Amino acid sequence: MKFIQVLIISISVLVLASCSTKISYGDATGVETTTTGFGSTDLQSISAKLVDDLISFPPIVQMTSERRPVVFVDKIKNKTTEHIDTESITDTVQTKLLQSGKFRFVDMAAVKAVQEQMQFQMDSGMVDPSKAAAFGKQTGAEFMLYGNMSSIIKRNSDTKDVYYKFTLKLVSLESGLLEWSGEKEIRKTGEKSFF
Amino acid sequence: MGKIMLRAAIMAGVSMTMLGCAVNETATVVMNSDGSLTQVIESNSDLLAANLKIADTKTGFVGNLLKAQVEIKNDSDDDLNFQYKFKWLDKSGFEVGIDGRPWQPLSITPYESKMVQGVAPNSSVNSFKVLVQD
Repeated sequence: MKFIQVLIISISVLVLASCSTKISYGDATGVETTTTGFGSTDLQSISAKLVDDLISFPPIVQMTSERRPVVFVDKIKNKTTEHIDTESITDTVQTKLLQSGKFRFVDMAAVKAVQEQMQFQMDSGMVDPSKAAAFGKQTGAEFMLYGNMSSIIKRNSDTKDVYYKFTLKLVSLESGLLEWSGEKEIRKTGEKSFF
Repeated sequence: MGKIMLRAAIMAGVSMTMLGCAVNETATVVMNSDGSLTQVIESNSDLLAANLKIADTKTGFVGNLLKAQVEIKNDSDDDLNFQYKFKWLDKSGFEVGIDGRPWQPLSITPYESKMVQGVAPNSSVNSFKVLVQD
């Protein structure tokens, strides 16, 4: 009887142990090939390539050696069939450009919060007027960064081929001139395997 | 005796798996204060020692940012699929922009060379390393 009880408990422990969830940390910059869909490696490759292209383009090198132009980041048009958070790509590009010390940015996503804070400083009576941030002193952007993302997907019974193209452009807001444009292409192929 | 053999086989398997996943430094290039380059090539894996060679290294500046180009050659008669990554260091040897660059997949056909390029994340960088893993 005792032997059967021990056996049942042992089997239960083994079953429970085999069902437990294992959690581990991985390298966030590692190559991810779970599916052919847009992934972290694509996002990181796109931002690294385009930032390198932009900061090493000769007219931009010349311009940024004298000053740090102010840039506004517009949305990236997602023309692919997937749901892709393109703001995440522009966020990474913006962070890398800012950290390069070559550009400065105006953050349109924070305009409402900034306006509310300034209104509070001016109207609440709680902030020393001599230390309150004044209206009408903000810097306007000189350039706009925007782009497109498109994809071509082809498949047969065994293979799926996905091609992504990401285009980023820098336009002068005053002259309307396109100062720089960069592209990154990615090809991913998935094949069905029986093993 | 059988148990010892089995243990040895498991240990060898685990070691080989760990070796296969190891990150191996291939080239360290340091820019000296007089503008000259000191290049150190290290190889501590079977993959690199037998198949991959750093054929050439070039550096230059775009504005005040270090730009690096490394020519990697496949010296074997097999296709090689691996990943590479640039690691940027400042004058004191501190890494700049940690996790700023992803591992990039690269495949090289037999006896072919491929150039890989990178631009330093900011002007404090004066040396770099190229890492590869299979």
